[in-house]
Amino acid sequence: FLGAGGGNDIQWCFSQVKGAVDDDVAEADIISTVEFNHSGELLATGDKGGRVVIFQQEQENKTQSHSRGEYNVYSTFQSHEPEFDYLKSLEIEEKINKIRWLPQKNAAQFLLSTNDKTIKLWKISERDKRPEGYNLKEEDGRYRDPTTVTTLRVPVFRPMDLMVEASPRRIFANAHTYHINSISINSDYETYLSADDLRINLWHLEITDRSFNIVDIKPANMEELTEVITAAEFHPNSCSTFVYSSSKGTIRLCDMRAAALCDRHSKLFEEPEDPSNRSFFSEIISSISDVKFSHSGRYMMTRDYLSVKIWDLNMENRPVETYQVHEYLRSKLCSLYENDCIFDKFECCWNGLDRQVEFSVIVMTGSYNNFFRMFDRNSKRDVTLEASRENNKPRTVLKPRKVCASGKRKKDEISVDSLDFNKKILHTAWHPKENIIAVATTNNLYIFQDKMN
Amino acid sequence: MLGKGGKRKFDEHEDGLEGKVVSPTDGPSKVSYTLQRQTIFNISLMKLYNHRPLTEPSLQKTVLINNMLRRIQEELKQEGSLRPMFVTASQPADPLSDNFREAQPAFSHLASSQPLLPTDFVSTMPLESCLTPASLLEDDTFCTSPTVPHDGPTKPPPPALQAVKDSFSTALDEIEELCPAPTSAEAVAAETAAEDSKAHPSESNIHRPPEGLPESRTAESKLMDSLPGNFEITASTGFLTDLTLDDILFADIDTSMYDFDPCTSATGAASKMAPVSADELLKTLAPYSSQPVTPNQPFKMDLTELDHIMEVLVGS
Repeated sequence: FLGAGGGNDIQWCFSQVKGAVDDDVAEADIISTVEFNHSGELLATGDKGGRVVIFQQEQENKTQSHSRGEYNVYSTFQSHEPEFDYLKSLEIEEKINKIRWLPQKNAAQFLLSTNDKTIKLWKISERDKRPEGYNLKEEDGRYRDPTTVTTLRVPVFRPMDLMVEASPRRIFANAHTYHINSISINSDYETYLSADDLRINLWHLEITDRSFNIVDIKPANMEELTEVITAAEFHPNSCSTFVYSSSKGTIRLCDMRAAALCDRHSKLFEEPEDPSNRSFFSEIISSISDVKFSHSGRYMMTRDYLSVKIWDLNMENRPVETYQVHEYLRSKLCSLYENDCIFDKFECCWNGLDRQVEFSVIVMTGSYNNFFRMFDRNSKRDVTLEASRENNKPRTVLKPRKVCASGKRKKDEISVDSLDFNKKILHTAWHPKENIIAVATTNNLYIFQDKMN
Repeated sequence: MLGKGGKRKFDEHEDGLEGKVVSPTDGPSKVSYTLQRQTIFNISLMKLYNHRPLTEPSLQKTVLINNMLRRIQEELKQEGSLRPMFVTASQPADPLSDNFREAQPAFSHLASSQPLLPTDFVSTMPLESCLTPASLLEDDTFCTSPTVPHDGPTKPPPPALQAVKDSFSTALDEIEELCPAPTSAEAVAAETAAEDSKAHPSESNIHRPPEGLPESRTAESKLMDSLPGNFEITASTGFLTDLTLDDILFADIDTSMYDFDPCTSATGAASKMAPVSADELLKTLAPYSSQPVTPNQPFKMDLTELDHIMEVLVGS
């Protein structure tokens, strides 16, 4: 159970792993985003090759009461293709930066997927019947000679094998000069925002040829640029409120009712620097890589290089809680700067809500060596787990891992110097209603569930 | 100024570079602070200019690296304004040039020159953020543009080259006017070439003319100031490989002495960096310059002058 027990009381078990087994990772297979839909039945991943793969959860089998439904491939489609910007002589990557699901309104499912420059609205629909008995066409589609038609009949729908089709319904292009890092659907379900390094635009889902610029931090002289936008999200309940984070570790909350261009924030969240931790890399590690509102909208969570911070929207001068993800890396920042790891953008997510738990109490985020971490806000306990094929027997409870920062290494501990910095978990997602989590390593997707008794 | 020599203990858990950053006011640790700062400065430059993506580089990354460079520059400027008296300190030219020939990492000549320092320098403590070993200063002063006296007694270039320097500084100014984009590239080249040529004044006499570019301090300070302004290059200009500074100025220079592997940033833990010569940097910068240098005439005149001088110097 969640609740007072929290993250450590959940026993996470391996459920499934998707993706290639070999160590040679094809660049196009690198997973770049993971997202459950609103019911949790569908799980979407985007990759560097511009593809979207959607998994669907099997309906619960009454006989298999010890586990929840498995996720199987439901649909795969090429969302974005590489493009070439002739003006700048540069390629535009097809990598999917973010996927966001729309709430379901009818039989079809809709999601937004974006690369660096273009956002697309995809409709995913099922077809399990097809009309048969046309008068003018044969079954294979060839047209009949009208002179051979002697009777008329009414075509009828006959069942067929399930086909899942994805079709692009809207393409929102040419609105971003810089690279899109976030998309967020408004609680009105009619509009959404897209944010790049310097600007945030507001779109209507039905209108593709126009968007409103709501934030612009581009300086008149680009040489004066010292700060960029790193993430943005709409408030879950208030449709005029959104936040955006920056590379300097600040979060700004804006109200669209205040002005057309929200350059002046309503609130500015920033924690003063801790002088004892000051280093050359202070700014870089303070850069926020992800921001997520809690379900109620009262709190928000930010992820910077070494920590996760929980902010109360009513308190701007410091976070209410801070959790260290991998503090042992603080003495390695120079190496991590040199090999670019310091620029890795880790995401974070909240637990799902079910009947027992109505609040956002657990935080999950990734680290290196295919480790990921969970923090329980109530019990203040945390756990480190590993996504690895070595634990791949279903119902095997994951063993907590420990990194030894310095001094004598105990048995089963891993020393900082043996961590594999190429195995990073940047993307994680939590089922909105159950204790099922999806954890993406470089090119594999792991699904873990809690051990049901 | 005599003081007790302070012994530095090797901390098993930390590299000199990786360990907790020391405050700039600690005496013996001032050296490792400066060393670390220099390392980070070098790494930052390499990141900005040794990167040839097919796609646009991340603006966030560029901004963060630029901010790092700016901060270090600011610090150096402030320190420079406190210690002009040390600019005249002795130049351990030969040991440094030996180090350079051995092709050690760019910053190691700082490290290896430390034993040359009198221990009293190293052990002095309070307030004396300006008490930095001279050899470190030499490298630092390149980054300290406006405050270092141009005509100061520091290592004046050999008189014979004054004329060359002037023509080069004017040539450089002309280049600047023509190609605003590559100036930041030049700044990098200028800064590093200055480092290298300062490191080996004796042997560099022969090679001085082509690398005389960086000797021009006024141009250099202008370039250093424009260093951070490379967003437009990476963000809005293409990587067209038209005629470049490299082609014009360095075409005839024998660069076999400078052969080494270019530094790549995609390595694991802190890797040693190959020395960065101006040549190497400019070669990597070549794809980034977006404007052709059109008027060749002024350069051609200077080049013939140079050839003449080179012949005189080499004695051929």
